Amino acid sequence: MRFNEKELVSLSRQPSEMAAELGMRGPKKGDVVKKRLVKLVVNFLFYFRTDEEEPIGALLLEQCRVEREDSQTFSIAFLDEAERKYLFECDSEEQCGEWVDSIIKASYEFMRKNLIFYRTEIHRLTGKDPLEQYGISDETRFQVSNGLQLMSRDTSSL
Amino acid sequence: MKLHEKILTHYLSCTSPVDKEGYLYKKKERNATYQRRWFVLKANLLFYQERPADRHLLGVIVLERCAVRRAESDAQFAFSLVFGPGLKTYRFAAVDRQTQESWVKALLSASHCYLSLLVRDLGRQYEEAKQQQGSGESCSSVTALKPSTYSFLFTAQGPTTAAVVREGRSHSASTVLQAPSIPTKVVAKKSPKLWPRRNAYVTPLNGPAPLYGEWPLVGFDPLEDFRKLHDYYGQEVKKAREEWLRSRQAEEERSDEDLIDLG
Repeated sequence: MRFNEKELVSLSRQPSEMAAELGMRGPKKGDVVKKRLVKLVVNFLFYFRTDEEEPIGALLLEQCRVEREDSQTFSIAFLDEAERKYLFECDSEEQCGEWVDSIIKASYEFMRKNLIFYRTEIHRLTGKDPLEQYGISDETRFQVSNGLQLMSRDTSSL
Repeated sequence: MKLHEKILTHYLSCTSPVDKEGYLYKKKERNATYQRRWFVLKANLLFYQERPADRHLLGVIVLERCAVRRAESDAQFAFSLVFGPGLKTYRFAAVDRQTQESWVKALLSASHCYLSLLVRDLGRQYEEAKQQQGSGESCSSVTALKPSTYSFLFTAQGPTTAAVVREGRSHSASTVLQAPSIPTKVVAKKSPKLWPRRNAYVTPLNGPAPLYGEWPLVGFDPLEDFRKLHDYYGQEVKKAREEWLRSRQAEEERSDEDLIDLG
């Protein structure tokens, strides 16, 4: 599958509040812990070899499960494969907690849920739809009952 | 760099709904021809394949740090995703104006950065709304900053103080939201407390990418003038607010002094 690699690499170089050297272990049997610079940018987790400019890889943080494994280690499981996890070893309990928290909150779906919650509540409290002022009340992605609403289909192919 | 594709395709096929899908023509970079492709937009990811029923995905475009532009130079109902100097420009064409507009609009609000700003803004509005619903006393001391002051600054016709406060913030937020591709510029103008506290383990790999100036945004920006107006007044308001808070302490000693000195 093609993807905009150069642009994604450029994204990985943006300043991030969550960037640190962690011990990282892949999900496969036989994978060992390696020191990596792990960096959270939008909903991607990039990981670099120390002092390299281009990331080794990028993990999309959607539909994944982040868990605390022990006081200083957290894991991320993708593809609903609970046993195949990426492991990350931190330097402290606090750091570990911050990473878990940040990764959960970085998910687009998590943010969307918050948005829908605020939109509903603001409307309930004030009678106004806060998205109207931005002209985006009709965008499918911000709909309150997104899962139930019928999306208007593009009919240009018909 | 390895993009773990299975994670993306898994996300695409999972139960959360798609944000937009349909046929568009995509321009091939090499020979400048347009090919019809089926596009699926989900979160900040634009997937494409030959036909809707295909299981094989041709590609994905991550929609961060790009500008959406209407561009009719080489095709009708055309638009593009511009990533900036040294980076790609993806060109598309729709079959009619409605489809073009619909896609442009959807892509403008697709980025994670945009959503992040929007959530932040709505979070603030929510807190304000809750405060006003709850005890009136606590909010009045902060938000009731001399209605006359606000009338002077905004020259609005008799808005309530609370509405003006919200309006002011909405303007700043909406100008922010009108320029989703330039988040770093926005950070400089916002009050520090609105942004998350910096992590002690920040080790940025490189400095920020060079700002390539303002890209012309899609269509016209109706809030362009408001943006300048608000920035100017926003500083006055901030100054006024600080002085008011300071003078509140001084009030106990010298009750005759003016509460706000606008200099």
